[in-house]
Amino acid sequence: MSKFRQPSVLPGFGLTFGFTTFFLSALVLLPLAALVLMAASMHWSDFVHVVLSPRAIGSYRLSFGASFLAASINLVFGFIIAWTLVRYEFPGRKLIDALIDMPFALPTAVSGIALTTVFAQNGWIGRYLEPLGIKVAYTWIGVTVALTLIGMPFVVRSVQPALLEVQRDLEDAAETLGAGRFYVFRRIILPTVLPALLTGFTLAFARAVGEYGSVIFIAGNLPMKTEITPLLIVIHLEEFDYKGAAALGFVMLVISFVMLLTINLLQAWGRRRLVHSTR
Amino acid sequence: MSITLDQVTKRYQGVPVVNDVSLDIGDGEFFVLLGPSGSGKSTLLRAIAGLSGVDHGRIALHGRDVTHVSARERGVGLVFQNYALFRHMTVAENIEFALRVRRMKGADRRQRRQELLRLVALEGMDQRLPAQLSGGQQQRVAVARALAHKPEVLLLDEPFGALDAKIREELRRTIRQVQRELGITTVLVTHDQEEAFAMADRIGVMNLGRLLEMGGPNELYTRPATRFVATFLGAANLILGRQTKDGIRFGERPVSAISAVPPHGLREHEVVAVVRPEEIEVAPTREALASGYLARGAVDEIVFTGALERMRIRLDGGADALTLAYSNGDGNPYLEVTRTQHEQRAFEVTKGQSVAIGVRRVHVLPTPLSSFTVCAANEALMIALAQQPMLVELASRMKTRISTRMEPMLGVPGAQCGDATAFSGTTVIASQPDVAHQAEWLLQRGADEVLVLPVNALPPQRVLIHWADEAVRSATLAVSASVLRHVSAEAVYIGILPQLTPTAQRPHGMRALLDARSEAQAVHGLEMRTELRFGDVAPELRRQLGESPGQMLILGVCDVTRLAEPFGSLLESARWPVLLVRRENRENEDSVP
Repeated sequence: MSKFRQPSVLPGFGLTFGFTTFFLSALVLLPLAALVLMAASMHWSDFVHVVLSPRAIGSYRLSFGASFLAASINLVFGFIIAWTLVRYEFPGRKLIDALIDMPFALPTAVSGIALTTVFAQNGWIGRYLEPLGIKVAYTWIGVTVALTLIGMPFVVRSVQPALLEVQRDLEDAAETLGAGRFYVFRRIILPTVLPALLTGFTLAFARAVGEYGSVIFIAGNLPMKTEITPLLIVIHLEEFDYKGAAALGFVMLVISFVMLLTINLLQAWGRRRLVHSTR
Repeated sequence: MSITLDQVTKRYQGVPVVNDVSLDIGDGEFFVLLGPSGSGKSTLLRAIAGLSGVDHGRIALHGRDVTHVSARERGVGLVFQNYALFRHMTVAENIEFALRVRRMKGADRRQRRQELLRLVALEGMDQRLPAQLSGGQQQRVAVARALAHKPEVLLLDEPFGALDAKIREELRRTIRQVQRELGITTVLVTHDQEEAFAMADRIGVMNLGRLLEMGGPNELYTRPATRFVATFLGAANLILGRQTKDGIRFGERPVSAISAVPPHGLREHEVVAVVRPEEIEVAPTREALASGYLARGAVDEIVFTGALERMRIRLDGGADALTLAYSNGDGNPYLEVTRTQHEQRAFEVTKGQSVAIGVRRVHVLPTPLSSFTVCAANEALMIALAQQPMLVELASRMKTRISTRMEPMLGVPGAQCGDATAFSGTTVIASQPDVAHQAEWLLQRGADEVLVLPVNALPPQRVLIHWADEAVRSATLAVSASVLRHVSAEAVYIGILPQLTPTAQRPHGMRALLDARSEAQAVHGLEMRTELRFGDVAPELRRQLGESPGQMLILGVCDVTRLAEPFGSLLESARWPVLLVRRENRENEDSVP
């Protein structure tokens, strides 16, 4: 009887844990370690020179700034889209639901070219923005638009199930207690979906930081102005400056890691307040 | 009055889910809305709370018309079956929610919260999260939260549904205590009759969107007015008997233990009697019975349930057999019987044993529709009509039987009845050419109600009511009320004045209309609309019926000699069912020996 173990659907903790560590090592840790090693083999002054060059700093600002902005836009509009899809029944709902995932499937270069066509000065939308003095294509705005498109499904798909969880009863209860609509939204709906929203934001942000394909078509790639860090890395590679590329990659890695860790910690803090039911 | 509902109607996709409900609930009263799922009780509660609007009618709380006031401003407290607690807030934050919304000061909030937690016996739980509480505790928090803003009315929507029996009992007691302490008017919605009995000052029973009956628990249990209430509140044996000059008879036997006024006065007619399982006595022989003898039967099933013993007794057949209004699936007539431990000890029975059955108390339902008898001149039509979907549906909802009666000479003037027995219940004939003469023939030979039924008719969504003579008003209303309890339809009384009515006389027409409505409401518990039309009766009714499908007509008539002439085309259209109600002033004749 001493050997009795709780049976589980998938057998063998040893085996599954082995797989987990192996895949993580082979696909994530080893390449990253190689990157760090490559960067570490540089001389300190060379490293600083590459990493803190004005061109590099400009690219960080654009990459992280535009990604953050795009993820924030998605936070708001992704929520609205998810709300519409969850709460309303209308003809074509299934179709729109399917369209949400399109940016996942489309080759990023295709979406980049498509966006450029639409937002160029003579494009469908661009031609109307032009007289207003708004240039989208080949500016930082264009970069943001591309990154918004890429990140949108992440927010919608994370928020949708959470919204399904918010029962109408909760809103009804709050209403009979005297709460107005905005109050219900702020105190009931938002706190319930906040973890999911943050997850969506994190995913959209992470995806945007690493995005390359769609941005290079719409960005125009002017050094210091519309050049994103991944592009700068590619430029270094094309000049056979592998170490410089690795150095920039390392910096991206560190910044991304710090930001994702911060968001995750925030989420964990939020979750502690919302203890899950034990029933 | 704390809560006043006036003809509240709520439709969902055209079907009324709450149908003309009028109700007054007094200050501090604990009112229970009882009904099966889908009866519209929860919808009605949501309408009172202001969470869903109504399509027709008015709602007033403490004399203030709130029909168009939002839930936020109605000042009600609502408790849900699934608690609906805000899971990301502590118990304290949940309870203080309504107070925070009202920007109450922190110290006052804390004080009120302590008061409420004491009230629901949850002191010291302030900082817990809902997920850390048991179901019963969560529901207590929900009650405290609903009371925080001192609502004038507390509404409870199946609050014990998700709890197990022990905790349910405890929470019931708490809620009743809290309600008494605060003296707050409370409406509880439930499908559990035991819960309703345990908690209610007054119960309102709903079915198919209609509020069928209201009254104290004991009153509703012992003297129900409708079949539905009789069978929904506890078990009931429904037995068909005959009202005679000497009292009620089951078969050939007079039954002495009788309550309630028979629906048609003393004139001989069929009645539906309710016999509760605990009012039945069993003994080895007829002589050993302490109560009135009813029948003999064999014990078919015995189930021991602790305090009570449940039995099913199969009735012996034969000429003097009891006629049950409905029988269980296999068509065998069974009586349900329950006995106490005490009775069991006095006379122990075993399965299969033959026993004499006595009855201590019989309650006669004041419903005029007792059973259906399908009548036709040939067997094929008779069988087809007995399987007509609307009739079958209606009979099953009314828990009554459909019997058949062959009348080869149906409609032939001067011909005698083929069957010597008196007509009982509602006679059903097929809508076909010349049906008006058949109806006339039946009414002249003693049938009280004749349902002229098109073979493809479905249960109606709208029932028109009209009587050709004020003398049949009461009878027609009684029959209408009985029909409308069993169909999900709106009732409309059509009053018709001749086209050339002088303006001076028109107020009389309106008066008659209002009288009809108030009589329907007061005497028969039937809520109906009224419409006044001008023109000739038959064409006007025909026009109304032709306007939309799914309608039925209930027509009260006095003169049964000339039915075909005015109403022939109405009856023979085969597009809508017509229920003819005939009453003559025969009560006088009957009372003369």
